[in-house]
Amino acid sequence: MKNKTAERIFAQKRARRAQLAKLPFEKKIKIIVELQKMASGVTKNAKKPIWPI
Amino acid sequence: MEKTLRVINEIARQGIIKAYAIGGGIAATYYIEPVLTYDLDIFFIPATEGIDVLAPIYAYAKKAGYKTKAEMILIEGIPVQFIPTYNDLVRTAVENAVSLKYRNLEARVVSPEYLIAISLQTGRAKDRERVIRLLDEAAIDHTVLARILKTFGLAEKFKKFECRIHEK
Repeated sequence: MKNKTAERIFAQKRARRAQLAKLPFEKKIKIIVELQKMASGVTKNAKKPIWPI
Repeated sequence: MEKTLRVINEIARQGIIKAYAIGGGIAATYYIEPVLTYDLDIFFIPATEGIDVLAPIYAYAKKAGYKTKAEMILIEGIPVQFIPTYNDLVRTAVENAVSLKYRNLEARVVSPEYLIAISLQTGRAKDRERVIRLLDEAAIDHTVLARILKTFGLAEKFKKFECRIHEK
């Protein structure tokens, strides 16, 4: 990768992921449930259960 | 989630299983950025060796009123997949699991080093992705990881994998 703009964007993305990785586990589970809700609109995932937390 | 983990702890406390550890996507999520998953994978060491090591768990679930769907048990609304330790690596991972705190509850989870080794051994696309994420985002003890990889004959596979992910 030689493009400096792209390198900077990817570095920011890595930093964001690292930040998310440090979240408390309970908060992460809440994010998973939000992801499940968002994915429920997609046909393939429509019947998959959303966790009651 | 809390209720589900409480039930799993109870299954272990009653001796229906010898030991357990959370694996799969939820174990990974403990160490890295949250990823979409629907199942809670539980690796367990059976209380007794036999042909159907899942039977006592299913019997407990039935008695407790939990429904089963395909290979999953729906425990307090969460699909749980109990996976018996199918080789030495997974068994050792369960034996060396670490504690996880969720609200007022403690549970057992596979350590990030063992999670990398198991994912590397399993080798599906999502497992390879998980290895990359864990190496990138989790606090890995590389001495421990190297020892695990060597013990279970995965050192060469890991070396090749690392070479591929660092290719530019």
